[in-house]
Amino acid sequence: MNCDTFLACMHPYVDGELGVSDTVAADTHAAECPRCRSVTARERAFRQLLRSQPRETAPPELRRRIVTRIRRSSRAAALRPWLALPAAAAVAALLAVTLLPLTERPARGVVAELVDKHIAFAQLERPAEFVSADRRAVGAWFLERAGLSVSVPDYSPAGIRLVGARIADVRGRRAAYILYEKGRTLLSVFVAPASGEGDLVGARVTYRGQVYVTRVQKGYRTVAWTEGGVVFGLVSMLDDEALLECADRLRDERARQTRL
Amino acid sequence: MIGWRPGRDRSREFEEVALVHLDALYRSALRLTRNRAEAEDVVQDTCLRAFRSFHRFNPGTNCRAWLFTILRNTFLNRVRGAGRELYEGDAGSAWDALVERASDRAGGGATPEEQFLETALHGDVDRALRALPLAFREPIVLVDLEGLSYREAAEVLGCPVGTVMSRLSRGRRLLRRALGDFAREHGYVGEPE
Ligand SMILES: [Zn+2]
Repeated sequence: MNCDTFLACMHPYVDGELGVSDTVAADTHAAECPRCRSVTARERAFRQLLRSQPRETAPPELRRRIVTRIRRSSRAAALRPWLALPAAAAVAALLAVTLLPLTERPARGVVAELVDKHIAFAQLERPAEFVSADRRAVGAWFLERAGLSVSVPDYSPAGIRLVGARIADVRGRRAAYILYEKGRTLLSVFVAPASGEGDLVGARVTYRGQVYVTRVQKGYRTVAWTEGGVVFGLVSMLDDEALLECADRLRDERARQTRL
Repeated sequence: MIGWRPGRDRSREFEEVALVHLDALYRSALRLTRNRAEAEDVVQDTCLRAFRSFHRFNPGTNCRAWLFTILRNTFLNRVRGAGRELYEGDAGSAWDALVERASDRAGGGATPEEQFLETALHGDVDRALRALPLAFREPIVLVDLEGLSYREAAEVLGCPVGTVMSRLSRGRRLLRRALGDFAREHGYVGEPE
């Protein structure tokens, strides 16, 4: 090591951030070179000055305020467990939103078909045809590819990541399909044509003032509702509460877009 | 298949794991904002945001670095939201020139500036630090004042370790020079030859 190479790594050397062999080389050079040794000594003194700055503490009032807010929001989160999913729950979600125009009466419930689609897509090597975590980009892609205006809700606060989208074929009609994931497990949500009252079969549930139809099919839970000539359906391995929260957010998102 | 910790346990765990770093967060917020009221706001926002995403924090990892990351994002969002200038002089050639001059001086023997540094008052360091552009202030606050490693600081700043290293050394030179200028202004030392 010469003076140039020593000075080039002097800061990490002083900070103890050099690897063992570089530290030995720097030690050796400093021992031999009075100039570099004095530069190093001054750098250490300067760092000491910085480190010896008075260490202020947070005002007690600030601490008290934060603790109060956290305990309060913690109680609220306990009422809305969806927001408090632990990272340990290795649940991946594949969220598929299918948007279909009104069409002829189906041979069987639309939710059953969407569950099948979900299972099929989940087995594809690339479930998403268009891969993007950008909600706006996904919405633009649907508009451009299929002329579909689709609300892409944000589930990231619950750790559900937007994966991408696909144009699905449901009952011979083009449909929008949005994919999300959480960990490795998959979850599907569907929106389908409101072809008739018989579309949605299952238990009626009211969540935050909105009515949903829930059922379990082939081991997947579904939450569905109709709105504006479209059936929205969510299919997943998540529990009902999580699905209902997703559904609520999708409705929120659509309401917000309608207002704009 | 999904469980969650009861609310009360979550907040208690957060208080034990995260809020022990409150003083460090507050100090750093002070250095970033240069304003007490704003520092308090930033720290409060940081803690609430951290608590909301606490379920995503991996207990085995570095909580302090995680909190500093949130603190920094909170601060930067506020600055952007207010339309204030960010990273003033980060890429500025004026600062580069200043760094060059500062590094020119770093070479020789102990100058009056350096002697002054030995006895510099804390308020002076504070003032010099406040005047430092954010890009250089950040690594100094994290590494020199809060004792983070380069790797932790890189994590917080979202940049490579090499960038932390270069900003840190440039920042320290700028700071030394600013302290030297201050010393001359106040007659602690004479004009440089
Ligand atoms: Zn040397």
